[in-house]
Amino acid sequence: MARTRDTVVLNEWVACGWPDKVAVGESYRTAIFGQDIEVARLGKDAFGIFELDEAGRRGRQLPVQVRYCCVFTTLGEPTRPLPEIAEFDEPDRRIASCGSVGVHTSPYRIIENFLDMAHFSFVHTDILGAEDRTEVLAYKTEHRRDVDEIWAIDCQFFQPAASRASKDGQMTTYAYRVMSPFSVMLYKNVFGDDTRNDAICVFVQPMQETECLAYMPMALVDPDSAMASIIDFQQTIFLQDRVILENQRPALLPLDPGREVPTRADASSIAFRRWLKAQNLQFGIYEKQAA
Amino acid sequence: MTQKADRWVAIGLDHQVQPGSSNPVMVDGFALAMWRPDGGPVNVWEDRCPHRGMRLSYGFVRGNVLRCIYHGWGYGSGGQCVSIPAHPDLTPPKTICANVFRSETRYGLVWTNLAETPLAALPDSGDGVEWTPVRSLYVNRPESTVRDGIVAVEEGNGSSVEADESTVTVRCAGGTVLLMAIQKVDENKTALHVVARGQGTSTSRERLALVERMELLRGQLETC
Amino acid sequence: MAIKLYDYSLSGSCYKVRLLLDFLELDYEKRQMDFYPGREHRSLEFKQLNPLGQLPVLEDDGVRLRDAQAILCHLANKYDRSGQWLPRDPGSFGSVMMWLMFAGGELMAASAARLHDALGYDLDIEAARRNAHAAFRILDDHLTKREIEGGTWIVGEHPTLADIACFPYTALSSDGGIGREDYPALRNWLRAFHHLPKFKAMSGIAEFA
Repeated sequence: MARTRDTVVLNEWVACGWPDKVAVGESYRTAIFGQDIEVARLGKDAFGIFELDEAGRRGRQLPVQVRYCCVFTTLGEPTRPLPEIAEFDEPDRRIASCGSVGVHTSPYRIIENFLDMAHFSFVHTDILGAEDRTEVLAYKTEHRRDVDEIWAIDCQFFQPAASRASKDGQMTTYAYRVMSPFSVMLYKNVFGDDTRNDAICVFVQPMQETECLAYMPMALVDPDSAMASIIDFQQTIFLQDRVILENQRPALLPLDPGREVPTRADASSIAFRRWLKAQNLQFGIYEKQAA
Repeated sequence: MTQKADRWVAIGLDHQVQPGSSNPVMVDGFALAMWRPDGGPVNVWEDRCPHRGMRLSYGFVRGNVLRCIYHGWGYGSGGQCVSIPAHPDLTPPKTICANVFRSETRYGLVWTNLAETPLAALPDSGDGVEWTPVRSLYVNRPESTVRDGIVAVEEGNGSSVEADESTVTVRCAGGTVLLMAIQKVDENKTALHVVARGQGTSTSRERLALVERMELLRGQLETC
Repeated sequence: MAIKLYDYSLSGSCYKVRLLLDFLELDYEKRQMDFYPGREHRSLEFKQLNPLGQLPVLEDDGVRLRDAQAILCHLANKYDRSGQWLPRDPGSFGSVMMWLMFAGGELMAASAARLHDALGYDLDIEAARRNAHAAFRILDDHLTKREIEGGTWIVGEHPTLADIACFPYTALSSDGGIGREDYPALRNWLRAFHHLPKFKAMSGIAEFA
């Protein structure tokens, strides 16, 4: 695929790596929105990012931000800044970076899957959901216009083993936050402390319309677990989702409400699709909308 | 969805589609889920759950219901959604339905017709005859190459060969008759579902010999 | 505890060992490794345990082993009173060994495809998929003949180490872009294995079958 002409997506910040992906002095090639780029690590947190032409020669240098265990860039001029996630600055938190996982699907399928609870009992059985407790209770969705984000709040689901720190089943409360068409996060109540939430993010790097990399940085309240266990748990969950994501048809996200049938449990997906439609995106969308 | 031709195409051996299983099949680039309830005939549906597009060939069967692996939505034999686990007290609206295609079993083969209004008759290879299942073969060659290749190889073996749109019938010199039903998978792959009757089809040793002969045929077709 | 497994949840090779440990109802200590992105298995410290820098590694009462197939043989030999998993009769023993080698050899092309697609490993993906399909065809041809003989399992009348060793990377094939449309006997065998008592799935293999 050649570089997309969809100016809406070109003006977004997107992840294109994580800091330790290569050593200082090394570089790697990747792509965003069909555009080949080179990412060079110049220092511990310093990166030079360049567009590449068909011959692989460096062209225009691109803006860089390093936050939330990810390296971000943009091909355009974003009006939407990177989100503020205060949990990543709290000193007692475990900050985990899980590398990236490749997924052959549209970026919006990944976001929707992350928002969904109705699959916990079937895809994450005995971890995030139980076979005999499948009900999704009603929750609220909001379009927060001041920041232009979609939120789902008062979400609850019964979970047998909701995190590394918990041993028995519990009713877990969630809030979901869609910060851009390519980024989503959830806040999950910390077992044993009602005042705090674990923060788990997914930043999607859209390489082509149906080829993505997913980054999953987390800021957790979990003093006891080994980091290898924290990462292992999150990767276990995501590789369970990946089988689903790669086998949804079509891979491009359909916005026509007649094509896929939602129920009340899909309220966040309905809000998300309505929000995408209002932004007039074409990249990754099944029905190409007129610009 | 583009118009599908009104014809029957074989997609598998009936006995090999186990009760309680859901299986992926590709016919001319179109994905199908071939599934069998715990008791009863095979169903052939579009490989896509109407909820969020998950392939139903990944689903699991409980009794007479095929359940999508994503959210556990359950579908009965007619394609109707009968259960939505996220809302256990909800009766699913009648409009929620999998896309169901006609399927029949004949000659020990599962046949399907993807047309909206199927009117064509099933291929006729003789009524009242018992066919023994041999095996399915998946050949990495286009349909025309496979059809022509079978004729060339089997005539070279001294068999007499008749081919039509859906099948090739091979009357072997030793008295075995092979019925090979052709399924175009895509532009570069063709499946053959093979059943046999007559000499050399009764014992397991004889059936194994036929299986080995078919593997040899696959190899010969792939060197064309 | 006598048995210690150096493990990564997403590793199909480690899963082979976890499956047998569950079937034999053996207790063990799990040492979780940061395989990705940490590449802990390539560290100098770990290479002292396994110079090949690979998982799984098993320690059992003074014996340290690498290679999932070798570990399966050790566990079956030492702990399986029934003799089911590693049959000693001359008609079966060599066949089980042959399919164990196949599982650690030709079938690993499916593991390579999965590492490329999911974790970004740099390798020839077209060759990996082509080789995986060739291996799947060989296994499906064998299982087709077994079906005609009235058998379900790769060797003999009950499951053996051959089935455990061949299961993970065939069941995980779609993770590497390898579909199972062309392998009806293989699919039936996968389902039979899935229904074994004490079977547990792993990420990439559906819990329900």
